[in-house]
Order: sequence, then C-alpha cells, then structure tokens
Amino acid sequence: MKKIIVAGLILSSALFGANHVIDQKGKTFIPHAVSVAVGDTLTFKNSDPFAHNAYTDNEANEFDIGMQAPGKDVVAKVKAAGVFNVECAIHPNMLLEVTAN
Amino acid sequence: MYAQEMKDHSFENGKKIYQQTCVSCHGKSGSTNPYMELVVKPRKLSKTILTQEQSFQITKEGAHFWGAHSDLMPSFKSVFSDAEIKDVAYYIAKAFNPDREQKIEKLLSESDSISQENQSKMLKTGEKIFNRNCSMCHGMSGNGQSEYVEQSKAQKNFIYPYDLRRTLLTEEQIFLYAKYGGKYWGTMKDDMPSWKKKYDDFTLKSVAKYVNEKIKTVK
Repeated sequence: MKKIIVAGLILSSALFGANHVIDQKGKTFIPHAVSVAVGDTLTFKNSDPFAHNAYTDNEANEFDIGMQAPGKDVVAKVKAAGVFNVECAIHPNMLLEVTAN
Repeated sequence: MYAQEMKDHSFENGKKIYQQTCVSCHGKSGSTNPYMELVVKPRKLSKTILTQEQSFQITKEGAHFWGAHSDLMPSFKSVFSDAEIKDVAYYIAKAFNPDREQKIEKLLSESDSISQENQSKMLKTGEKIFNRNCSMCHGMSGNGQSEYVEQSKAQKNFIYPYDLRRTLLTEEQIFLYAKYGGKYWGTMKDDMPSWKKKYDDFTLKSVAKYVNEKIKTVK
C-alpha cells in the first residue's frame, strides 16, 4: 500500500509538478533561494501585516502576482529552465533566487 | 552692516517663533519632540532635504497643500506674516541644518552622470520603473492613492504616500529622496524606502525626471 502511495506521489509530482512554499515575512522571502523543476509551482504566502508583491522580469518565466494582501496565498508556475530573481515591487530589499532545472 | 543686522534679526525672530510654536512637535534641536514621535511623527528638521525657500512654502501653506496626506503640519499663513515665516525658515536652516547644501552637492557629485546617449532613454525608463514600483504606493497618476494604501488602512498599518503631483521637490531632490529613502531625510518611518541597492543612479534619475516632467503638476 505504501509503495502505491509513494508511486502515486512521484507520478503526480512528475505530471503536475511539486509545490514550493515561499513565505514573505519581515520584508524577506523565506527561503531566499530555491531549486525547482520546470512545471513546479511557487506558492507565495504573506505572513507580514502589510501587502506584498512578487514578480520576475525573466522573459521565459515572467509573472507578476500583483498586490498580495496579508494572509493571502498566490501561486505562480515555473515555465522554463534557468536562474532568475523574484522581487517585491514594494520592498526593494526583498530578493528570491530561483534555480529551475 | 545693515544686511548683517537683518540676518541677526531674522535668526532671533525665527528662533523666538520656533520656540513658541514649532518646538512642540519638532523639538528644541529640530530632531523632534520624543513625546510627539508617538503621535504625529514630525519630520526631523535637522535632516531635511528642503531648501530655506521650500521650508517657507511648507510652513506657509501647510504640508497638505504640497502633497502630504494629512494636515498635521498645518498652514501658518493666517498666524504669521510672510516675513515672520521666512525668519523661521532662516532659523531652521541656520540652526539645525547649516551643512545641507554641501551635503546635497556632495551626494550629487558622487552620483553617476548620465551620458548623452542615455539621456534620451530616461523618460521611458522612468515611466517603466514608476509604473512597476512607485505606483504601488503613490498610484499610477502619482496622487498617493492605491490598493496598497487601502489595504494598509484595513490592516491598521497606515501608510501615507505623498501626492507627487503636488510635490515641491526638484528633480534632483526627488532623485536623492528615492535613492536614500525618507528616513535618511528625516521621516520617522521608513515607508518610503531607499532604492539604492536595487537600482543604479541612471534608473533613479530617470524616475525623478519622469516624476518631475510627467507627474508633477505644480511647477
């Protein structure tokens, strides 16, 4: 039974991609670097008592989650391999490095 | 001799008015009254980016007239004459911030100059960065209204971005304000952060040019 569940998880991960949770807390992305596979998703949490944003200008993975209210989760998908930065448009010192394989 | 007497008079008269009126918020040394820091968060005048003339205008018309969200810094034009307000501005400049001009000149001289080739790209670059970053708080039109501001109210974590259409800062001052952030220039909170780690001088000067030429309506 365990083998079936593990096999199912591996299969669903391969089919749908894994999810990586990135917290935004204290005006910092936690973790501040993440390795992912193409097709994985990044779930941005906002644990601060004020709004955040997350965007990348990387052409192959371009996204902008817009204004993210406190407590709200927003998901972005990694579409292409490469190393790219994700930033917050409101707080200039926030930086997340994503390595997509 | 007459000019010196006038300056002495301005200083002493400005000091007298300051100590009777302004001191309750801004404190004796222009570094704010610590009790008022908890309530109205007055500017540290010892760090101000404003010229003497700009201090005069703010004191005369009040900060709201020049784009501040609130009128916590009220207009004093019905209380004091122009000459008296000029005396106060003179006192603030001489007593609290005598090195302001040299400091600003130094910061500007240390910043990167813009090549002839890049000057034509400034407005486009400034618009892009303004729309991406500045508009999150100041709004697309620069009026100080945005979804972020509304959310800050809902969270009781208030921020009060300036209405940039009405700012009396010059292009160079806007550049220095964006580069070093509000706290460096005397605000109590760091709601207006320093952007110098994120963007180079060309980018920040481009934003300043865009704000000055395309957002600001009071010239």
